Amino acid sequence: MIANAYELIVYILTLFRVYEPLLNVFQALGAEYVLRIIIVLVEIAVLFVFVLLTVMFLTWMERKVVAMVQSRYGPMVTGPRGLLQPVMDGVKLIGKEDIIPAKADRWIFTLAPFIVFIPALLVFIPLPFGESLIISDLRVGLLYIIAISAISPIAILLAGWASNNKYSLMGAMRAVAQDISYTIPLALAAIAVVLLTGSLSMVDIVNAQGGAWFGVIPQWFIFIQPLGFILFLIASIAEMGRIPFDFQESESELVAGFFTEYSGMKFAMFFLAEYAHLFAVSGIVVTLFLGGWTGPVLPFIPVQITSLVYFLIKTYAVIFFAMWLRDTVPRVRIDQLLNLGWKIMVPLALLNLLVTGFLVTAGVMV
Amino acid sequence: METDELIINMGPVHPSTHGVLRFKLRMDGEIIKECTPVLGYLHRGTEKLGEMKTYLQFIPYTDRLDYISAMPNNYAFVKAVEELAGIEVPLRAEYIRVITMELNRVVNHLVSIGSLLMDLGAATMIMWGFRERENALQLYEMLCGARMTFNYIKPGGVREDIPEGFIPKLNEFIKDMEKRIEDYEQLINTNEIFMMRMKNIGVISAEDAINYGMTGPTLRGSGVNYDLRKVEPYSIYRDIDFKVCVRRECDSYARYMVRIDEMKECLYILRQVVDTMPEAKIVSNPKYGIAPMTGAPSAVMPYFPRIFTPPAGEVYSRIEAPKGELGFYVVSDGTTKPYRVKIRSPSFCNLTAIPGMVVGLKIPDLIAAFGTIDVVLGDVDR
Amino acid sequence: MNPAEELKQKLPSAVVSIGIQVNKPMAVIKKEELLNAAQKVKEMGFDHLSVITGIDYMDHFEVVYNFFSYAKKQNLALKVITDHEDPEVDSLTSLWKGADWLERETYDLVGIKFIGHPNLVRILLPDGWIGHPLRKDYDMDTEQFVTIGEGGEDIVSTDGSNLLRRK
Repeated sequence: MIANAYELIVYILTLFRVYEPLLNVFQALGAEYVLRIIIVLVEIAVLFVFVLLTVMFLTWMERKVVAMVQSRYGPMVTGPRGLLQPVMDGVKLIGKEDIIPAKADRWIFTLAPFIVFIPALLVFIPLPFGESLIISDLRVGLLYIIAISAISPIAILLAGWASNNKYSLMGAMRAVAQDISYTIPLALAAIAVVLLTGSLSMVDIVNAQGGAWFGVIPQWFIFIQPLGFILFLIASIAEMGRIPFDFQESESELVAGFFTEYSGMKFAMFFLAEYAHLFAVSGIVVTLFLGGWTGPVLPFIPVQITSLVYFLIKTYAVIFFAMWLRDTVPRVRIDQLLNLGWKIMVPLALLNLLVTGFLVTAGVMV
Repeated sequence: METDELIINMGPVHPSTHGVLRFKLRMDGEIIKECTPVLGYLHRGTEKLGEMKTYLQFIPYTDRLDYISAMPNNYAFVKAVEELAGIEVPLRAEYIRVITMELNRVVNHLVSIGSLLMDLGAATMIMWGFRERENALQLYEMLCGARMTFNYIKPGGVREDIPEGFIPKLNEFIKDMEKRIEDYEQLINTNEIFMMRMKNIGVISAEDAINYGMTGPTLRGSGVNYDLRKVEPYSIYRDIDFKVCVRRECDSYARYMVRIDEMKECLYILRQVVDTMPEAKIVSNPKYGIAPMTGAPSAVMPYFPRIFTPPAGEVYSRIEAPKGELGFYVVSDGTTKPYRVKIRSPSFCNLTAIPGMVVGLKIPDLIAAFGTIDVVLGDVDR
Repeated sequence: MNPAEELKQKLPSAVVSIGIQVNKPMAVIKKEELLNAAQKVKEMGFDHLSVITGIDYMDHFEVVYNFFSYAKKQNLALKVITDHEDPEVDSLTSLWKGADWLERETYDLVGIKFIGHPNLVRILLPDGWIGHPLRKDYDMDTEQFVTIGEGGEDIVSTDGSNLLRRK
């Protein structure tokens, strides 16, 4: 049983008979930890490249989905069916002048995009992409994810404040209000799942959904926790800041919200973080409610590959749903959003938690 | 708790001010305390230009007022001149005018609803609207070679007869539109979020709307059954069967619904006009002479004099433009140029009501209310 | 009896003459009696103030008000004649809120002062613009340059000294 990506790399190296000699070399130097660090760095590099490629693909996909709904073509010129458009966008953004407004707080203004971007990457650490495809199966994985996600409103507030622009500040204020009011139902809905599994580890949560009723219906938590799923989905769309809850930007009201003043690479960082976040949150939804990477086992293909494919299919389905939603509905108003959060979603999430807790204690569930 | 007020300048460069309008907002947090529109960024002195151009030279300038729906602008000015000079217009020309104007009403409402929805954050509608608008613009292109600024309607008629193949294409457009409007209604009308954003927002009572001088769909959304096409029928509207779309809710949703209903009504009018169109291919007043009907395309074009002198006098003539009551006050001193042209633009007068409508609301409501007022800045600033 | 005649009957002192403006009845009103006449007109059911037009006739100004009645479906035009030196008429903002911007526009472009208007400043042109463009004696040859100052106010000059590129 391979527990995580580190062991997977070791396993592959052993398979090709290079791990032992490498280990011997480093042991002879008395620096075994260097090999460990190298392997971890390789893991991080793979993850980073994977996330960047995914983000690039997602920007393309978003434009294609929007185009599809709006009966247009979307990007078609660069590359086959416009697939290279994100690359061109990246080149354009790098080539742009990096403007810092004269009266902005230079340090914080520069720092904020990084503070937004890094948590968006850190979220991926306890996220299982497939059987044994996980950087680290933290025992508090879910808590870690919720905690890390809570950093981004701080960064958004910094960005909005440092820009010294009224629109930015209002966007930032809205983002913070929104994040605070939606992290609570998000966490409450997630706790109900934790009650079912008795573990915060993402791998345990996935494994708990492995079976099937009557051999056909997969034992995903969406069937046990339908209300929890809906609450979690809505709350996570709100946390991603996408239409109908895109108050941090709300283009037609606040120009571009907290990143009104940003340009060039700093703007790109926000952009990357946004799509990385979209992917991560969709992955979390899949892990918690849609069975994660579980699926029928196919013969002759390593389970790592099939599970990764299952995970990606489910995740992209959730992402597609988010994009579809964006093209269909208008934006709600900020006070309506907060009303919805505090007056409807929090009580419902608490109710869901209460019922789940009762049933778990009574032994009906689990 | 004592809090500072925030002054926000929304515009002149802002995604949802539909041009270069500026709102000076005095805000308490997210709530608008005072809203002062600042106009004039697109002022081109059209009225002064009117005094310096001949009557016929001025017609293209009217296209540039409300560039989303230019044909009614053309017609409103031409109607004023025709009333001044007492010019008879052949029936077929009137039919063609009504076709172009009703088509333009559909186009205008498509853009209006589309940009409203885009301001609310649903970008799909504007793309759908522009998809249909493109078909209408192609019809215009067939008709007069221009897509947005037509210079098509002339005193005494229209510039040229409808080309071959226009009517079948128009019928196709009408048939297509009827289906599309159903699509829009399915997408938007009962959308919960849309209703949350629109209902009871930007409420203006019938008395206030009249007092502010609001006209058009904004007035009909406040429950005033008033349409110049019915009240003072001009052109051939007297013979056309249509109903005035009125809603009594007085809010943004009502104004939106009036526009949707009006589009359906326009299609109904278009069908009638196409069916009953006179055959005789006379599209300009014989006073100006008609070119022979055969021969080169240029020969088919009716002849319009370069110089045109209506008798001295003054006239105020109004029509029901898609955005409201469009009036031209023309003073003639018997020369080739108007002595004074005053444009009563619907956008300008409807915008008057905005400051009163939005006090106590939030910025998103301002955008929703402003979107349903349907303003084109070329029309406001002139 | 058309509304102009009716108005003459009700306020014989205010109405100078009545006539027809193509197809709309029109009454010429004494300048001092405008507010009274407007009040009466409103009572007669003319609730829609369609437009206010100021016309420069070189030796005098005319201000024309076009009204419409939603109930009676009738038109009525009022005309006021002012002198050319110091054109002033009473403001109708107390009766029609819609008159606010229309009067500001007339002030801006024609230069007629409306007494009692709560905020009679330019609306289309920037503050500080020289002259009123729709007057016949408006200087068409002088260019005017407009920029925005530090406090958001408009700065107008005729020589372009306020433009950045001249620095």
